[in-house]
Amino acid sequence: MISTELRPAPMKPEADAAPSSPHRVHVAGAWAIARFAAVLVFAAIVFLPVYVSFVGAFTPNGEFARSGIVPSPADVTVGNFHEAMTAIPLVREYFVSVGVVTLQTLGQLLTGALAAYALVFPRWRGRKIAFVLVLVTLAIPAESIVIPNYELVSAIGLRNTILGVVIPYVAAGYPVFLLRQAFAAVPTEIWEAARMDGAGDIRALFTIIMPACRPQVTNAVIWSALAAWNGFFWPLLITDTAAARTIQVGISQLAASEAASPAVIFAGAVLVVVPTILLVIFAQRFLINGLTRGVLR
Amino acid sequence: MPSHTSSSLAARWRRNGVGPWLVLPAAALLAVFVFRPLVRSLQLSTYASDLIGNPTRFVGLDNYTSLLSDPDFLHTVVISVVIALLGMFLATFGALCAVLLLRGRLPGGGIFNVIFSLPFAYSAASASTVFAGLFAPSVGVLNIILGNLGVPGPHWLDSPVAAVWSIAIATAWYEFGFAFLVLTAAVRDVPPEVIEAAQLDGAAGFRLAARILVPIMRPSILFLVVTQTITGLQSFAQIQVLTRGGPAGATTNLVYRMYQLAFGNGTPDFGRASVIAIVLVLIVAVITALQFRLLGREKAA
Repeated sequence: MISTELRPAPMKPEADAAPSSPHRVHVAGAWAIARFAAVLVFAAIVFLPVYVSFVGAFTPNGEFARSGIVPSPADVTVGNFHEAMTAIPLVREYFVSVGVVTLQTLGQLLTGALAAYALVFPRWRGRKIAFVLVLVTLAIPAESIVIPNYELVSAIGLRNTILGVVIPYVAAGYPVFLLRQAFAAVPTEIWEAARMDGAGDIRALFTIIMPACRPQVTNAVIWSALAAWNGFFWPLLITDTAAARTIQVGISQLAASEAASPAVIFAGAVLVVVPTILLVIFAQRFLINGLTRGVLR
Repeated sequence: MPSHTSSSLAARWRRNGVGPWLVLPAAALLAVFVFRPLVRSLQLSTYASDLIGNPTRFVGLDNYTSLLSDPDFLHTVVISVVIALLGMFLATFGALCAVLLLRGRLPGGGIFNVIFSLPFAYSAASASTVFAGLFAPSVGVLNIILGNLGVPGPHWLDSPVAAVWSIAIATAWYEFGFAFLVLTAAVRDVPPEVIEAAQLDGAAGFRLAARILVPIMRPSILFLVVTQTITGLQSFAQIQVLTRGGPAGATTNLVYRMYQLAFGNGTPDFGRASVIAIVLVLIVAVITALQFRLLGREKAA
């Protein structure tokens, strides 16, 4: 399926143009063909790493050297995956990553929703300053604070544990920010009505406010989960063995240990990106509408 | 926060409920894992360290002066900026071209949209892993393909200049996905009346893009320029996977140097590593402030 996408689709540029004179037909047609050709070349370049890694992962190492960019379908093999998993405990690391994503996302959603609620609905002194401090955390590079966090997490005995990977990120500024913006758009009357009916803060948050902001909550969850799944620097520092090593760290080690066999490296990369590729293919519209607009507003 | 005397506290409690206190879990965690480390980094940067990295004695600005007068350090600053700007430019400009080319009807437009979004699925580590297989000397797929086309491929990771380009290309490729999503949203937000009006005036193709669309998309483009420069300055996985800072330090940027100083094979030097951490905070703060000024000016204009 993937290999077919590189082949040019049937071209019907004339069908697009609405010609009014013979000269215009020529120009519009030429322009449409040039544009299509440019898109095709550009897409081929962007798609090349995806194509090579997916096709390479399923063909014997060195096959690209023998048969060029389209290996024979007769050569399909899963041997590279087997080799990758023998070289590095990728299966175990996969489960670690799933655990890290689950804990971190739940943590950020919970702490983020509670904080966003407190920042929007009840009136209290210091509310504005608290929000400014949340915004400040967005501008602090994560790399700049790893040394003290490494000291602290090691000191409390959480080095090389899943909890140690997760704990500095149980709260994050960005989900708080996203949810605050979402809650602020909810009419206060809805909240007041819920409170009049005797709902406590927690009940109002989880039964009224959160359901009213479902798209933005989903958005925050996707952002948190992606950040947790993609994390690299901190998991690399705080883990020493496969017991708590995430898949991202695992494949970086695969790239080092299997440097002579690109096919095995590609197999590892494919394993890591399958969940996120499915996200891009099936939720592309949502990513465009939610993720990217969230960051701008 | 509610405070004052106990009676007013009780009154506030009745009126406000637990509401304000719900900020506490996030506030406490951010205090411990973001603000405390920032202060601690500042403190570490002014201390000498012992053989296992712990701070020993206050040395003032010694770590700063020794690092800033080191020509190698200035090289890491330049390399950080070069990688960040190259990656940002390739990703943002590339995505802008892709989005403008795809605008309007095109056979197979949906498939192209997905293809251009695919790099977003790759993390820095997984993209770097793929590029490790593409760039690998002698067995690398890229040079095999170029060889089939009759073009001798360069030694991607061997020469200093080629290695910097390789890092920038890998960075740009996976950042391209996000840039494409952001700009696709931006171009879809352009009001159709504006485009129709421009078309009535005879603007089409390149002129329509340059005179009408790009100016309207400016806030999104500026956002990408800033955020991708900042993430580019923080590049680490690409360097760790592809070059380990080499050849001969050619691709060692600030973050990688900090990693080497604090967690590398030698004796940990938390003091000088923390100087780099603080320098990074300052650079990012300046860029962020610049962004706000530019955005403010744009809104005022």
